[in-house]
Amino acid sequence: MKFIRRALLALSVAGAIAAALRVKGKGAVPPQQGGWRDIASPK
Amino acid sequence: MIVVAGTGLVGTHAADQLRRRGHEVRSVSHNTVNEVDPTLTEVVLLAHAGDHMRTARRFLDAGCNVVSVSDNTKDVLALLDLHGDALAAGRTLVVGAACSPGLSGLLVSYLGAKFESFDEVHIAVHGTGGPECARQHHDVLSGTALGWHEDDWLRRPAGSGRELCWFPEPIGSRDCYRGDLADPLLVKHAFPHLARISARTSATRRDRLTARLPMLTPPRAGGDMGALRVEVRGLRNGERAVEVAGAAHPMAQIAGSVAASAAHEIRRQAHFGTPIAPGVLALGDALLPNNDILDDIMQTGIRIQAFYGVQ
Repeated sequence: MKFIRRALLALSVAGAIAAALRVKGKGAVPPQQGGWRDIASPK
Repeated sequence: MIVVAGTGLVGTHAADQLRRRGHEVRSVSHNTVNEVDPTLTEVVLLAHAGDHMRTARRFLDAGCNVVSVSDNTKDVLALLDLHGDALAAGRTLVVGAACSPGLSGLLVSYLGAKFESFDEVHIAVHGTGGPECARQHHDVLSGTALGWHEDDWLRRPAGSGRELCWFPEPIGSRDCYRGDLADPLLVKHAFPHLARISARTSATRRDRLTARLPMLTPPRAGGDMGALRVEVRGLRNGERAVEVAGAAHPMAQIAGSVAASAAHEIRRQAHFGTPIAPGVLALGDALLPNNDILDDIMQTGIRIQAFYGVQ
């Protein structure tokens, strides 16, 4: 019983930390301008 | 005659491209490459699974030029060690003539010409060619990743260093991580002056979680859509500047076209009496006709794109 309680506690703490990181983590900002275009032959 | 060793997706595509250019091509498998008569062979293109070092040395010693698509770090290091053999034979060994490494070195050379001087190269790759390439991709996330940082090799765990990289469409943005990739070794070989080199590969959470386990699902026989992104930083008009170029195509097509163009150029230069310097070379090396090779790759239908909008 004690083992199960500890395992559940560990899982819930890990879940809380993961949730906090996911919410607080900053996503990268996609490019706001520009794009891809074909290059001319280098020759 | 050009011998293509390897009958997978990359080898088949390379052989097709060489035949379209009018070369006499013989395709052999990994198991029968040792039955090839080197005296009838000018260029050997190694596109089979497994290590290329022994086969490359055998053909170099017999007087053939060799192009290898190997992207395995240990094999690439062993191939670079064949420089003495290549010089003694007076022949050229082009190492890592695929997408990354390969096209990446050519794009560094192309973008580098836009600077007064350049000192940083950052490469990202997405996708795999055939099944063997997929197995290699699986393995690169479990080793040690090499990077060049201020005159020293930086060793970090593969699968670390997440960075969101934008590739040409239709790939778009992908999370990329450090990997046990050969690109830093070969880019450093071709451009010894660089101060920083990094290489990343795209991966999913499942790729990273299962990297140290055997592959859980078999790789797709038809290969994947691939993409490459090369970012070069340097000085232009006295200010720091960035140039980015890339390509997005089925990975086996990119790798096959690069390998075929390298082999074609070696044979073409020899035909016109201006053979490429002997030794072990990586694409992008100043001793290679990089613009000719890149132009030839573009002629095969590979679209090279540059990102505009970066300052």
